[in-house]
Amino acid sequence: MRLAARLLLRLFPPAFRQRHGGELLATIDAESRAPGNQSRTARLRFQSHVVVDLVAAACRSRARQARGAIQQRLGNGPPRLPASAKRTAMDTFANDVRYSLRQLIRRPGFAAIAIFSLGLAIGANSLIYGLLDGLVLRPFPYPDPDRLVAVGVTFPKVSAQTSYIETLSPAEYSDIRTVSSFSHAASFDLGNRNIIGGDAPERVFTALLLDDLFPVIGLAPALGRGFTREELAPGGAPAAIISHRLWQSRFGGDPGILDRPVRISGRAVSIVGVMPPGLIVIGTDLWLPWGGDPLTMPRNVRQFNVLARLAPGATLTQANAELATVARQVEGDHKAQFAEYENWQLTATPWAAALLRDVRPAGFILLGAVGLVLLIACANMTNLFLARSSSRQRELAVRLALGAGRWRLTRVLLTESILLSLLGACLGLFIAWVGLKGASGLIPAQFQSLGLEAAVNVRVLTWSVLLALASGLLVGALPALQAIRTDPHESLRADVRTGGSRAGQRVRQALVVAELALSVVLLVGAGLLLRTFFNVQRVERGFDARGLLTMRLTLPRDRYPGDAAGVFFDRLAERLAGLPGVRSVAAASQFPPGETFSTRFTLEGETPDAKRLPTSLITVATPMYFETLRVPLRAGRWFTATDRLDAPLVAIVNQAFVDRYLRGVNPIGHRLTIGNADRQRPWTTIVGVVANYRNTALTEPVRPALYTPVRQQTEWNQLFVLVRSDVAAASLLPTVRQTVSAIDLEQPVYLARTMDDALAAATFQQRASALLLGIFAAVALVLAAVGTYGVMACVVSMRTQEMGVRLAVGAQPRDVMWLVLKQVLRLVAIGLALGIPIVLAGGSALESLLFGVRAADPLTIGLVSGLLAAVAVIAAWVPAARAARVDPIQALRVE
Amino acid sequence: MLALADGARHGYAIKQEVESRTEGAIALGPGTLYEAIQRLEDGGLIEETPPAADAINGQEAQRRYYRLTPRGWTTLREELRSLGRIVDLARENPRLRKGLA
Repeated sequence: MRLAARLLLRLFPPAFRQRHGGELLATIDAESRAPGNQSRTARLRFQSHVVVDLVAAACRSRARQARGAIQQRLGNGPPRLPASAKRTAMDTFANDVRYSLRQLIRRPGFAAIAIFSLGLAIGANSLIYGLLDGLVLRPFPYPDPDRLVAVGVTFPKVSAQTSYIETLSPAEYSDIRTVSSFSHAASFDLGNRNIIGGDAPERVFTALLLDDLFPVIGLAPALGRGFTREELAPGGAPAAIISHRLWQSRFGGDPGILDRPVRISGRAVSIVGVMPPGLIVIGTDLWLPWGGDPLTMPRNVRQFNVLARLAPGATLTQANAELATVARQVEGDHKAQFAEYENWQLTATPWAAALLRDVRPAGFILLGAVGLVLLIACANMTNLFLARSSSRQRELAVRLALGAGRWRLTRVLLTESILLSLLGACLGLFIAWVGLKGASGLIPAQFQSLGLEAAVNVRVLTWSVLLALASGLLVGALPALQAIRTDPHESLRADVRTGGSRAGQRVRQALVVAELALSVVLLVGAGLLLRTFFNVQRVERGFDARGLLTMRLTLPRDRYPGDAAGVFFDRLAERLAGLPGVRSVAAASQFPPGETFSTRFTLEGETPDAKRLPTSLITVATPMYFETLRVPLRAGRWFTATDRLDAPLVAIVNQAFVDRYLRGVNPIGHRLTIGNADRQRPWTTIVGVVANYRNTALTEPVRPALYTPVRQQTEWNQLFVLVRSDVAAASLLPTVRQTVSAIDLEQPVYLARTMDDALAAATFQQRASALLLGIFAAVALVLAAVGTYGVMACVVSMRTQEMGVRLAVGAQPRDVMWLVLKQVLRLVAIGLALGIPIVLAGGSALESLLFGVRAADPLTIGLVSGLLAAVAVIAAWVPAARAARVDPIQALRVE
Repeated sequence: MLALADGARHGYAIKQEVESRTEGAIALGPGTLYEAIQRLEDGGLIEETPPAADAINGQEAQRRYYRLTPRGWTTLREELRSLGRIVDLARENPRLRKGLA
């Protein structure tokens, strides 16, 4: 106690502390030794009294000090009237607050329950809002982030999807630049570069700029300068700008960095600027001019991102209208040569929304879910308040009789509920703070690498306070209304028992029904997400993830020309396969479940389809690729060591490819050309068919896929290495690194992780949303159970006499109990009747998150109904049993 | 202030006095108590005074003693007078007389 008091003493102004601190503590000591404060409950009551008293007094003391300071600054203001002569609105308010505080101290249990349950609900809201704020709403530190847009593209002939990352060519970018709704636009390619200029080579995520990106995002380097026009032009002096993060980690924050020579992917480069801390563009750490001449790039080599800033006064709609005009213009000019331009669309979307569109629905659904939890908590609190205000009816009636205005009374009651919810918000903010600190587990790995983070900030604070005020009003409204309607005459005369009137009972039962209905919504949502999670876990993947270690290597073109990269990977695979415990090793340009590289192709004997251009995933792989993933062969043969540049070109396809494009044809021996049909390309022969595996995502259907041998190409110098072993996959990494540096000392191994981790990251969203919604649903269920208990306890105490009479005239205790339980089941039934239609109507919002289960899933709804009924019956069991134990004589005597 | 009308007291004694006079109905919290003392002192209504001679020894001597200032006396009398007038007024109302007698 003494320690707590000492801490609380810090709240007082220092002068006060100095003068009265010692005596104050001595007084508390003396008090706590008083004989009346020895029992446990008395001690608890005394301690809570002291805490609240100290806080309140400290507030008053601080306020007085502040007032004094202001007066001093204003000079000799008007002379102060005695307090009683001038009663301002502020004084009344202060009075209300004081009164409410006293009320709360008098019932510490009630206050604790209220603060705790509201705090929990508000905390959950603040937590989810904080996550949403950090990851979805305002993820970037740019000025005016809403006016920064990404330009995405849709080619309906290829796919209905709009993509925003690496989808446009330099020629298309210069078409987009004509849009006058954009004040700045920039285009960049993403890649990785080796940076040398420290102890070990390192891969750095890099943006290669066609144009100056920094005016578009609205940030300037914190150190040095941005790129000059000359540096950005083709063949300009080699210059680089680095991130604050890279500057700190690699160069120790050396302020002389601007003069230091650095080698980037084999070239001497001077660093001209360091950006301020924080995320700049999708986690890139290095910015380089693209360097080539964009005009020499063909229109259909699309690997650039386009970002633009809306011009002052321009709207997104205007920009999109202009982009549509540009698209039609380009379609008219180039459709003859590039068939994909037919009906193509350019779309500008705020950058955050474009980048994070996958998590947005989940985020908003979770926010809705915690909103429901808060509503349930509010309903619960309203019930508590109603129960209490009916026992306070006498006090209120006396106040009314003495001439208190009804408005004044309302204010007193509302002040109390708002005060409680604000105290709850303090607890809630603490919960959110702790939660967001430990939220790294809640942030998907792919976002962590983007540098996104969530924290309690001004917006989260504002949100919590607004929620607290709203729930305070909501909680206080009904009791206040009831108080206003109180007829002092009636209340004072009537013998007011706890429990209130029949009408009051009906209101309280309606509240419980609302709680039950909202719980149904949350429980069904959680149930569906849980089933989705299990479905995703159980999904037939088609490949074996256990014991697989994956990593990436990128060989510089200048040192590995032609097929030298293929030779390197072949050699590496051979050496790694010789390590103890290693079963098999493969290298490939991509691996499941996140495959993205795709290509056009033309089957022999077919002219390009007028409506859709055939596309397929394309993976270059070493012969052991399928064996390492344990994907079975369906027909034909694997790649062999003889499939080299000097042999005929071969390919393997998956079953989905055969089903889509070669239905009814023997695929083995069929020929095709890979790539755009704009020029003559060599024939490739299909030599094998492999079984399907989930290639793009665990929850997506299998896409057609083509595989070609690593040794029959010269384009890919950046491959993943997959190692299957009997030992713990992670423990293998150091040996693998040694093996790599034994072949080439300068090659960093990066993106190393086990396949299990990759899968966990891929199922992150399902796991996190099922977990969070599950927690919220559990909280909702507990709150609803507490509410049910409270109301039924009240009902039973009101009907005690009736029960007594029933028992006296021969009813069995069992019958009486059933009477109570029947009433609960009726409430549950109404709750279900209200909740299930909400679930069915709102299910479509959830649909995008579900996998292998429909929103209107009868099994989930059935289980939830059963669960809710069971919980409600358990909650009502104690009151029901009490009703059954009523002593008829006792009950009748009360009358 | 009424508790100081009998003579100088220290903070804890004021609290005990108030509690015994109101039969425990008004329990001053420690924060409230010293905040009020500070306020009265700032307002020039009470002042610190050396402890009474019989309390020179022991723990009691370490506490600060307070007494009413002349201005404090005036204010207290005025307050009591005006409160008394309100009670008198209330007594004249026949419907209220019963409870106040």
